[in-house]
Amino acid sequence: MWWLVRCEPVRVLRGALIGTLWMVGLSVRPYLIARAVDDGLRPNNHTALLWWVAAIVAAGVALAWLGIMRHRTMTFVREDATARSAAVVLRAVSRGGAALSRKLDAGEVATVGGSDISTVSAVLTITGPGVGAIIAYAVAAVVLWSISPLLALFVLLGVPAMAIGIGPLLRRFEGVESVYRHKHGLLTARATDIVAGLRVLAGVGGRGLFARAYADRSGDLRDEGYRVGAVSSWIFAGTAAIPGMFLAAVVWLAARMTAAGEITVGQMVAVYGYVAILVVPVWFFLEGGYQVIRGRVSARRIIALLTLVPDGADEAVTTQPPGRPSELHDPATGLRVPVGKLLAVAAADPAEAIALADRLGRYANTDVTWGGAPLGGMPLAEVRARILVDEHDSYLFAGTVREILHIRPDLTDAQIAAALHAASAEDVIEALPQGMDTPVAARARTLSGGQRQRIRLARALLAEPEVLILIDPTSAVDAHTEARIAQRLREHRAGLTTVVMATSPLLLGRADIVAHVRDNTVVAVGTHAELTETDDGYRALVSRDADIEEVAR
Amino acid sequence: MTTTGLPIADRRTVRGALVGLLRADRRAVTVVLALHTASVITGLATPWLLGRIIDAVVAGAGASTVDRLALTIAGCVVAQGLLHRWAQYLGHRFGERAVAGLREDFVRRTLNLPVSVVERAGTGDLATRSSTDVGAVGNTVRDVVPIVVIASAQLGLLFGAVFLLHPLLGLVALTGMPTVYAATRWYMRRASDAYLAEGAAVAELTDALTTTAEGARTVEALRLTKARTEFGTKRIARVWAGRRRTLALRSVFFPIVEASYALPVAAVLLAGGYFLSRGMVTLGGVIAAALYMQQAIDPLDRLLQWIEQAQRGLASLARVLGVGQVPPEPRGRAVAPEGRELVVRGAQFSYSDGHDVLHGIDLEVRPGERLAIVGPSGAGKSTLARLLAGIDAPRSGVVSIGGCPVTDLDPAERRRRIALITQEHHVFIGTLRDNLKFAAPDTTDAQLLSALDTVGADWALALEEGLETALGDGARELGAAEAQQLALARLVLADPHTLILDEATAALDPTTARRTERALAAVLTGRTVIAIAHRLNTAHDADRVAVLDGGRITELGSHDELIAANGSYADLWRSWHG
Repeated sequence: MWWLVRCEPVRVLRGALIGTLWMVGLSVRPYLIARAVDDGLRPNNHTALLWWVAAIVAAGVALAWLGIMRHRTMTFVREDATARSAAVVLRAVSRGGAALSRKLDAGEVATVGGSDISTVSAVLTITGPGVGAIIAYAVAAVVLWSISPLLALFVLLGVPAMAIGIGPLLRRFEGVESVYRHKHGLLTARATDIVAGLRVLAGVGGRGLFARAYADRSGDLRDEGYRVGAVSSWIFAGTAAIPGMFLAAVVWLAARMTAAGEITVGQMVAVYGYVAILVVPVWFFLEGGYQVIRGRVSARRIIALLTLVPDGADEAVTTQPPGRPSELHDPATGLRVPVGKLLAVAAADPAEAIALADRLGRYANTDVTWGGAPLGGMPLAEVRARILVDEHDSYLFAGTVREILHIRPDLTDAQIAAALHAASAEDVIEALPQGMDTPVAARARTLSGGQRQRIRLARALLAEPEVLILIDPTSAVDAHTEARIAQRLREHRAGLTTVVMATSPLLLGRADIVAHVRDNTVVAVGTHAELTETDDGYRALVSRDADIEEVAR
Repeated sequence: MTTTGLPIADRRTVRGALVGLLRADRRAVTVVLALHTASVITGLATPWLLGRIIDAVVAGAGASTVDRLALTIAGCVVAQGLLHRWAQYLGHRFGERAVAGLREDFVRRTLNLPVSVVERAGTGDLATRSSTDVGAVGNTVRDVVPIVVIASAQLGLLFGAVFLLHPLLGLVALTGMPTVYAATRWYMRRASDAYLAEGAAVAELTDALTTTAEGARTVEALRLTKARTEFGTKRIARVWAGRRRTLALRSVFFPIVEASYALPVAAVLLAGGYFLSRGMVTLGGVIAAALYMQQAIDPLDRLLQWIEQAQRGLASLARVLGVGQVPPEPRGRAVAPEGRELVVRGAQFSYSDGHDVLHGIDLEVRPGERLAIVGPSGAGKSTLARLLAGIDAPRSGVVSIGGCPVTDLDPAERRRRIALITQEHHVFIGTLRDNLKFAAPDTTDAQLLSALDTVGADWALALEEGLETALGDGARELGAAEAQQLALARLVLADPHTLILDEATAALDPTTARRTERALAAVLTGRTVIAIAHRLNTAHDADRVAVLDGGRITELGSHDELIAANGSYADLWRSWHG
């Protein structure tokens, strides 16, 4: 937080200065009104009255100017802080990588991005006016003292005492409100839930039941709202009545003093005005204190996110990666990935296939060697640049299809077209209303499972890694398309190392070599035809896939 | 597919709805208004009594008069507090009632939207309306409207009081109002759009951060760090620009309005001095009027601050009411038939952008038959499934069941007979029982459990809290396979005689897909099944296979017949078997 303050000392200082002037300015009007009454109205002195009234108008304009300058300065302070915080959070999130997904959930990032940043920024805005509030309070104290020390003491102590008394009441209101807000959030979630499930309801029915259930809960919330109203209305009335009573006491005291001739009528009117105006800085302290507390909580969350260490940053580099394409070897299963070939891995347990891919791509602790040297000791950045593991559900960011595919600035349209062709995804683009320029939501929810899968595949191909590891790249497409992809993938990756984790005969049939993995061990290696011939377990695995697919039996 | 947004209600409808809300609760509204007025009037007594005190002091009255008047002020404060409390409370209750009515109405209307409308509009729009807009309307009705009403009442009474002191003084007090009015109009015309744009920019930034975090592993794998940073930086710049724009608006609006606040006070004092010398008003009267004007700043400020919010609330209300303007799903015209044969004759279909999908489909499905539909992506398989399920009507030709066009059936009746199962599944927030029972409201717990058993949902039967287990949204989250099993259990309960499967397991990962398909097999026995096949073995085991290509059925027959015919299906089958 201090970092943010230090980032813009001039603005904060200016905010403090203008804030002070503005708060002091607030107390000018009662003074001017008092003088207008005392010097102009009572003695019936029109010239004096005219001057004081002119002063009131001028002060009004000056106050308005100060007010907006204060607001502008503080808005700039706040927005500058927001932008700076957002930028550092953005950088942290962008380079957090796989470690981020493991250690934080997206909801936390949403809280940080959505509210924590603005909470912290809001704290900054109290720096300027905070100073102003202190000075304004002091100025009012001096002026009041000059009128009457007794009244000054009464007002200067009474206003904070009153504010401190009302403060807990308002906190209590917030407490009552938060229960209501929570329930309201749940109800909103239900409405959104119903909307999201509309198609299911259309398929199966049961709409009336949902409407009734919702109405019941809505009724509960309404009753909860009544309860909130019962409490909050007292609090609201109290927060208005307590200052009212205090004001009455001040007026009474001042009037007695005026009657006794200790102060003038104008001074009495001024005292009345000061009480109202002192409330502003005092409130400010209360609010400010509360904001600082909340700001600290938010700042801590932001810092937790910023201090997250990405994978590989703190690991020692012990070996250099091989200079030219080399063989990957996984000692755990005994799998060898031959250079420049299309290797298919048929694993009996899909979880083993995913774990194997994570080891080969160094997303997990790994004993894998690359060109004979341990993969775990190589610089992570270079490993990532040369070996790509594309998960079954790798993330698709929101944007146009072109933006999604354009993962490197130097990609040409021809390269993109070639990758789309290899992934048999041309018809996906054709079916979109604006082709490549159609915007797609995050996770490409608007596309079907098969369409998403092909876009992912095209994107992975465009990365042109030395080693490409694909997990079930065709599980969601129909047989026609799968056959096409199998053939084209092979052509597209000719001469490059490609590993496909799959059990579909269409893909396995096109691979140079197939490795059959069972119980975390490679049990057989050969072509699809050879294995089907010689390995009963393999035949069962590949045809089991088919057997279970038999929906209609 | 084109997107046809949901309608937005026009001004007249919104106004009508507001009047309707007030009218529906006429008594409460009257009482609340009366209480507020009474409260404000007692509130006005303080400056007036202060004026009286001053007059008394000037006249040389003693301490007892001062005491008496001060005590009256205290009494007024207490009375005002009580009136204020009750006005607030009853107003709050009215607001809660009105909001509850609005949101229940919204959900009821949403539930009655025809599926085709929902699909065209996209659930995104509806989701925004159900969360953001309903919330905004709620805030407006519950919080903003009372503030605006009270502030207006206070203003009216304050100015009224000055008029009572002296009509000319009242007229003088109105100076400053023209500039406030003009500035407000200027501001209001621009503010809504600017704030909406600002809000959208903020939402986009949050979205950029969240999605980057969600896809963190992909960012690392594809080395998108730089691209994501640039993307986010652009969003930050857009937020900054949006904030600058709204700040620029405020920079004009605030100073003009704030400077105008001093005018009535000044004018009243000046004119007061003149009237005082003529003996038209008392000194106390002028001071009270000046204080009234000083007091008027606060409600005026509040009114201006909230009026923009109120305007946004109205915009949201228009969107909420818009949902009600879609004609609800039509009731059925035909008596439900006994027969189960599904017949398609010359069905053609094109989406509203004129893009033709099906060009004349003829197909007959016998009761209890298993028909597989295969074909390349984009051949129109899903569209055919939707026609068969009666979700869309063919542009020409007819789809009928037992001789009756499916779209003429009552939707509820149709769903009891034909169910369409897609990749989409949804677990509703609620208990496991809630999630099953809506498919068949009259079932017993034993039947629910047996349905779960049928689809192999062992996890559900092993739950500690059984059917009472809360699902979704922070409670127990179901995996894709579990969710799909839940969907299948609903089907068992709903018990339709015809099932249309549109790649029901395609979006699941292969392991999950296998488990789901095993469960599915249990559901299919004894029903007519039309399966859009995704793996060829499904086709192999079906009674008949239809090959759909380019919106036409190009081959139709049993697996063996098609292999013998040596067409495109036979080619594919051979490549599958390598």
